[in-house]
Amino acid sequence: MNHAIEATGLRKTYTGKDGDVDAVRGVDLAVAPGEIFGFLGPNGAGKSTTVRMLTTLMTITGGEARVAGVDVAADPDAARLKIGVALQEAGLDVRQTGRELLTLQGRLFGMTGSEATARADELLALVELEDAGDRRIGGYSGGMKRRLDLASALVHEPEVLFLDEPTTGLDPASRLTVWDEVRRINAQGTTVFLTTQYLEEADQLAGRIAIIDMGTIVRQGTPQQLKDEVRTRNGLDAAPTLDDVFLDATGRTRERVAGQVKEVRA
Amino acid sequence: MSSFNSSLILGQRAMREALRTPDALLPTLFIPLFFLVVNVGQASRIFPAEGTEFLFGQGYAAFQLPSSLLLAASFGSAALYLVEEIEGGYFDKLRATPVARTAIVAGRLYAEVVKVGVIAIAMVIIALPFGVRIASGIPGLVVLVVLVSLWAMVFSGLMQLIALKTRSAAATQSGSLIFFPLLFLTPNFVPRELLTRPMEIAATLNPVTYIMEAVRSLILEGFNWGSLTRGFAVVGISGALMLTASVRLMNSYD
Repeated sequence: MNHAIEATGLRKTYTGKDGDVDAVRGVDLAVAPGEIFGFLGPNGAGKSTTVRMLTTLMTITGGEARVAGVDVAADPDAARLKIGVALQEAGLDVRQTGRELLTLQGRLFGMTGSEATARADELLALVELEDAGDRRIGGYSGGMKRRLDLASALVHEPEVLFLDEPTTGLDPASRLTVWDEVRRINAQGTTVFLTTQYLEEADQLAGRIAIIDMGTIVRQGTPQQLKDEVRTRNGLDAAPTLDDVFLDATGRTRERVAGQVKEVRA
Repeated sequence: MSSFNSSLILGQRAMREALRTPDALLPTLFIPLFFLVVNVGQASRIFPAEGTEFLFGQGYAAFQLPSSLLLAASFGSAALYLVEEIEGGYFDKLRATPVARTAIVAGRLYAEVVKVGVIAIAMVIIALPFGVRIASGIPGLVVLVVLVSLWAMVFSGLMQLIALKTRSAAATQSGSLIFFPLLFLTPNFVPRELLTRPMEIAATLNPVTYIMEAVRSLILEGFNWGSLTRGFAVVGISGALMLTASVRLMNSYD
């Protein structure tokens, strides 16, 4: 089977002043075409590092990664043509207008001026920013910036879309709008690789999820499979939530002490 | 798409950005003009046009203009915009496109060339009513603008290296201050042969001296091919070093 995303033994080691740090330690992933794949993990677990390696933004220390059939390390430019990226911070040029940003993005993906302009109009309509298209991005709200960032990742109609915490910092209404957009994009056949800290988001959107902790994958499967596994193993009466799966997988528990929530290692 | 076309497209964006931030653009014109007025005001009576051999019959403003032109070319504002983009995440957005890595850096440099070219022309026009003449004529003015603009590109490129390496606005801003000692270790008030011996040695070792002398020769003397060759050689060699370092840094940028 040809996977949309395939990683084998993916590793990343940072060399710092205090020695080497293994941020990702042998990650194996296989994401089918057309899937929404949720990638979860606590802060510093290696989520963003994995995404940055898969999207050619970071060199790979060891292992292999293929996206849309292209080896990202061997042929990064070919990989970039097939992937769309919306990173943790909506990476936008605040001095440009929304329309200028999308047109520029189109040009950088090889479109002619008129093609890029037409595509920008199409995408502004898609993310409901036509009215704000000629305003500078610096004046956009957080939700508008996210939607524009998402639109800019779709300019070249990528086969695989990487969304790194796309709803972090958004209000509930904006979050729901982004969810709808992700579902709509996926319904058109785009594979979505979604990292998030919101377990509800993964539960709502992802067909399968992987949980990474300390640089290694500690759980992988459908949300239901992972919940069933925790319920069976722990002999629970009630059905566990994805929060329970996450806490079980990462070895974290919450302990309430004198009215404060304290996170400790089990 | 070719690397050159990508650079041009990104350069157009950088130009739009510069025009939309006049508060950052205007000091590039006014601070060098301020130094020109102050330096000429302080020293023009010491060096009158008549009787001062190194002025070739012109006023002291003509001698000082190259210092101000080089100061205008050495603000390195492109690097500060780059840091802002790195911090804001847009730099990664650009890196995720299939354009040549060097085009991402070169786009801003292209804009810097245009911007400083326009500022250099404006400064020369402003200097004309004060008796400054370009001895090498219109062709010389073109060469002067090209040389100053290319130096702006090299200097901004060097500042961008600091930006890429440190990813810090503070470090990049400090880096631009490197130029100030270099500008003053030049024959900026009198020709090299009139400097004290230690200053003459320092000026001779300073590559900026040769760019200044080349620009000055175009204003005061005409086409002095020896000066021009040395000036363009300094820009060419430092430009090649800057581009080589930029390519290496961009290719290993994580």
